[in-house]
Amino acid sequence: MALFVSGLNHRTAPVDVREQLAVDDDKLREVLRDIHASGALGEAVVLATCNRVEVYGVADVPGEARATAFRHLCQQRGVRLGALEPHLYTHVATDAVRHAFRVASSLDSMLVGEPQILGQVKDAFALAQSCQTVGPALHTLFTQAFAVAKKVRTETEIARHAVSVSFAAVELAKKIFAQLSGRAVLLVGAGKMGELAAKHLVEQGAFPIYVANRTWARAQEMARALAGTAVPFDELATAMTAVDIVVTSTGALAPLIDRATVQRIMHDRRARPLFFIDIAVPRDVEASVNTLEDVYCYDIDDLRQVVDANRRERLREAQRADGLIEREIAKFLARQSDAEVVPTIVSLRERLEAIRVSEVRRTLARLPDASPETRQAIEALSAAIVNKILHSPITKLRESSRAGMGRSWTELVHELFGLGRST
Amino acid sequence: MHPVLFNIALVGYICATGLALAYLIQRDELVHRLQSAATLGAWACHTIGLLAFAIESGRPPFGTLPAAISVAVWVIVLLALWAERQYQLRVLPAFVLPIVVVLSLKSVAARPTVEDMGPTLGGAWVWVHIALALIGIAAFVLNFAGAIMYLLQERQLKAKRPGTFYYRLPALDTLDRLSYRTLALGFPFLTTGLILGAMWAQVAWGSIFTADPMAIFSFVAWIIYAGTLAGRAAGGWHGRRAAYFAVFGFVALVLTLGAGLFLPGRHGAS
Repeated sequence: MALFVSGLNHRTAPVDVREQLAVDDDKLREVLRDIHASGALGEAVVLATCNRVEVYGVADVPGEARATAFRHLCQQRGVRLGALEPHLYTHVATDAVRHAFRVASSLDSMLVGEPQILGQVKDAFALAQSCQTVGPALHTLFTQAFAVAKKVRTETEIARHAVSVSFAAVELAKKIFAQLSGRAVLLVGAGKMGELAAKHLVEQGAFPIYVANRTWARAQEMARALAGTAVPFDELATAMTAVDIVVTSTGALAPLIDRATVQRIMHDRRARPLFFIDIAVPRDVEASVNTLEDVYCYDIDDLRQVVDANRRERLREAQRADGLIEREIAKFLARQSDAEVVPTIVSLRERLEAIRVSEVRRTLARLPDASPETRQAIEALSAAIVNKILHSPITKLRESSRAGMGRSWTELVHELFGLGRST
Repeated sequence: MHPVLFNIALVGYICATGLALAYLIQRDELVHRLQSAATLGAWACHTIGLLAFAIESGRPPFGTLPAAISVAVWVIVLLALWAERQYQLRVLPAFVLPIVVVLSLKSVAARPTVEDMGPTLGGAWVWVHIALALIGIAAFVLNFAGAIMYLLQERQLKAKRPGTFYYRLPALDTLDRLSYRTLALGFPFLTTGLILGAMWAQVAWGSIFTADPMAIFSFVAWIIYAGTLAGRAAGGWHGRRAAYFAVFGFVALVLTLGAGLFLPGRHGAS
């Protein structure tokens, strides 16, 4: 019985293939029960998200199990299995473990580090548990995958850096102000992106919020939406004196905020830092504002540049995460394989010990005059022979299990020494 | 006994410095843990070494300037360990430990021995003068580290090209608060230390500045720090300007120690 995973994801299959396999939870329960009932899979978990459909299982013949599982999945939606085959991948044993760990840790995601996947894997696992298709092997694999995902999240920064413009702006604000709670924000203009950035700032505790718009009614409307205060458009400068962050996204054709104005304001603010997030095109804030001390001005291109850098940083962190996962796989396999071969080693020892004891008893029965020293010597001799014989197979078993070949070796040992059925 | 301990401590600080710099480049949990362990281990050795030295000589372990610098290093590491936890500043050791190593090398180069103790050293006030000045110096080392980190982060934010420092260093506001706190902590100690020194000089040598280079440089450093503190408290100074002054102050402080170590004078270690 080998651990395997097979399926397709956003890299191997285009969306029109993936969407054909979309199933709801009820259907998924049905599929799980069907494939489990077919007997091809000892255990099964089906993970179906919009970016991947995968079957995790334990089977004697992974290829056959894969065909069975996907035949059932296809039947649900009337898709031809043949159309799917070219998009499917299968990983067995160690590779399956690696795949499970990488998926749960969001390293295999379209957007590396996106947080939803772990929840989706947990849901899939829970669903399979409720259908009683999870056995010890998949239980160990998934609980370990959750632990690894958590470790990856805390020990690397794959999920740390914003990959959207509006979140990148929030992150920059945090690099300037440390905490956003109690920082005042002024939103100028009614652009969608500006509103989104303001919303993110509010979520991080920014308060109070001021809204300015050329149309007074629109300003009031947006102020209500953000739980803020509308300020008259011609009092922008006054409002800017009081706030820490200014988000602009108007449709104005020329900059609304020039360097001279900001310079004057900075004097009145006693030089508290001021952060401009200028999402408008054409820009609302003169670029040269950034040269003033304590003023940071990011336009849309600057923010995109930050997002690009963040992406690169995430990928760098993903490499570290892969290293971490390799170490976790080694630990997992060592534990698992020891657990796999230990029963065999124990029964092998018991078997030889039983032979030794009975043979010694027979021999001693034929030697009634033997001195205690002779008896002791025979005991010692037999024990030494047994240990010498056992040494090599036990070493080999442990090694082979660590190399992922434990199962075939345990079967061989069971066969050779007549140990009865291996589990 | 204690020279061995000082050497172990120095090796520990050097290892910790390497690890701290490695952590700055490659964020790795294991590297950080090793660095913490190396720092703590070195500091523990250092503590025992200083205690052994004090017991052996029968007086505080800062009777000569090199010995005093060794004690300053001890206080710096203690403060850095506190600040690292207080401000969640895991990169702080990368900026403090190199200074620690340079100072330790200096104090080891002229390893303190009991015989070095000058005959003029006497009276509790002198010991208090030295102790206070040392705590002040330690706080200003942290102040300098905070300023350097502020300047690096500010540059990144202005340049709009996020690099390693953007990701590793904390927010400007945090760094500015660290600078202010350490300035506010160090200044009273330095001031009281200098006043005691001046009073004692007046009594013992008959003049405050007996052409002693260390006294003169320390007065320059004091003026810079006093100006920065006044600027911060009353003039709304902060950020880049305050950071530049922290750097100036630290340069003056280094010159002060250098003068004490290498120029002849009343503090002279020659």
